[in-house]
Amino acid sequence: MSLPESLTPCTPPLTGMADSVLSEIAERLQVFALSGEETVIDLRSLPMSNADRNDLEVRLGRGEVEIKLYVSGQSDIWETTFAGVWWVRHIDGDGRIAAEEINITSVPDILRAHPDDARAAATRLAGINTKESDDV
Amino acid sequence: MSKPQTIGEMLQEQGVSRRAFLKFTAYLASSMALTPQMAKAMADNLATARRQSVIWLSFQECSGCTESFTRSFSPTLEDLIFNFISLDYNETLMNVSGVAAIEARRKAVEENKGKYILVAEGAIPLDDDGVFSTSAGNTSLAELKELAKDAMAIIAVGSCATFGGIPAALPNPTGAVGIDQIITDKPIINIPGCPPIPEAMTGTIAYILSFGKLPELDHLKRPLIYFGNSIHDRCYRRPFYERGLFAKSFDDEGARKGWCLYEVGCKGPVTYNACATVKWNGGITFPIQSGHGCLGCSEPNFWDKGGFYKPIPAPINTVGKVVAGAAAAGVVAGAVSATIARARKKNAAKNKVKEENQ
Ligand code: SF4
Ligand code: SF4
Repeated sequence: MSLPESLTPCTPPLTGMADSVLSEIAERLQVFALSGEETVIDLRSLPMSNADRNDLEVRLGRGEVEIKLYVSGQSDIWETTFAGVWWVRHIDGDGRIAAEEINITSVPDILRAHPDDARAAATRLAGINTKESDDV
Repeated sequence: MSKPQTIGEMLQEQGVSRRAFLKFTAYLASSMALTPQMAKAMADNLATARRQSVIWLSFQECSGCTESFTRSFSPTLEDLIFNFISLDYNETLMNVSGVAAIEARRKAVEENKGKYILVAEGAIPLDDDGVFSTSAGNTSLAELKELAKDAMAIIAVGSCATFGGIPAALPNPTGAVGIDQIITDKPIINIPGCPPIPEAMTGTIAYILSFGKLPELDHLKRPLIYFGNSIHDRCYRRPFYERGLFAKSFDDEGARKGWCLYEVGCKGPVTYNACATVKWNGGITFPIQSGHGCLGCSEPNFWDKGGFYKPIPAPINTVGKVVAGAAAAGVVAGAVSATIARARKKNAAKNKVKEENQ
């Protein structure tokens, strides 16, 4: 059932913040291209309306890489049409957006396997191998 | 295999990857307005920390703060926070366990002497030796004093525990006061709000765990990570305020167009809290986005300030002006996010001076 128009939350309008963030991304991408210095911009802590964020998403577009993570809910990560500019959207177990960032980097950090996880996986895998050779 | 010692080891046993840590801390860092780069440091530190013992007492209150806390996160993220803390005693949640719960509390105090965090919810009545609020035969006053003795720090949650709240509303029939009016020899963190933002409660505990120290506080003992900016600083309606576009009533054209709610009583300019960015109900919206002004519930005496729908006397100029100006021009010289982070600190300091001069 949808609410009558008078009871729905006001639709936040475009405020112009997308322009400001876009300028910042452009500046930081220049820096990354020249020096390799990475930047993360937290979109949720900026006073942006939903319309602003949608506007920014459309203007950055979607490029060659799209990735889904399944960890404590889903995360959608994609490289925008600008190489090195990644959109990282973390969604929680209820399907709500928990965090949203722009990463200016070659690969967002969360995609790399952490050494602790790799160590635990190596132990597990060795265990499976031993068990299989015992079974033979 | 030996028993896991750290949170990282414990979660690894449960198959929780470090990516889950990073996702969780990305969320927390965002709610705290820490730089996103801090999320990685937080994840690493949390992985090597030990679980934090928490004892939660309820005094003169409505249990709304516990309600808010237990709804902190969505199921999957919530699982994580409850792995970082050991909620050894919560009066409201353990009510039915009776003496067994009191025994669990005694044991937790004994095992974590000087290390547990005491969370206090609700005001303490002082009149007639505190008889207006009792539990298991003890007054709230006696219970607070006893459990504060061995606590590492106290977190007062909600506007009742911090500033007296509704129980202290005029004529304050029970002589209700906030925790810091009674306990003066322990570090106290105030997390006001009616109720407080759940992430501010869990996030503050996660901050202590990951950085091994208490967060920086403002002059009202509120953590700057959540209370460093006013609602007005981060309000998406701010550009309308700057342009003088105000709703004059809740059903006029301005209200329909989403203009600023200052003239219908919004207390955002004098209220320090994180509602405008962290938002409520899992980050969906907050009062101003739903068309109602801020009531100022995280400020002392908000309940007795004489009218939620009366405009506050004078406009306040803070960081939002910088942002709105830049946004209107469509360009920004330098980093918007860094500007806001810096302004947050400056504002907190300015706010302190302002209140001290009042
Ligand atoms: S007065 Fe209220 S509605 Fe207007 S900009 Fe400030 S916080 Fe937002
Ligand atoms: S918007 Fe204002 S009144 Fe509402 S919860 Fe936040 S601080 Fe309290």
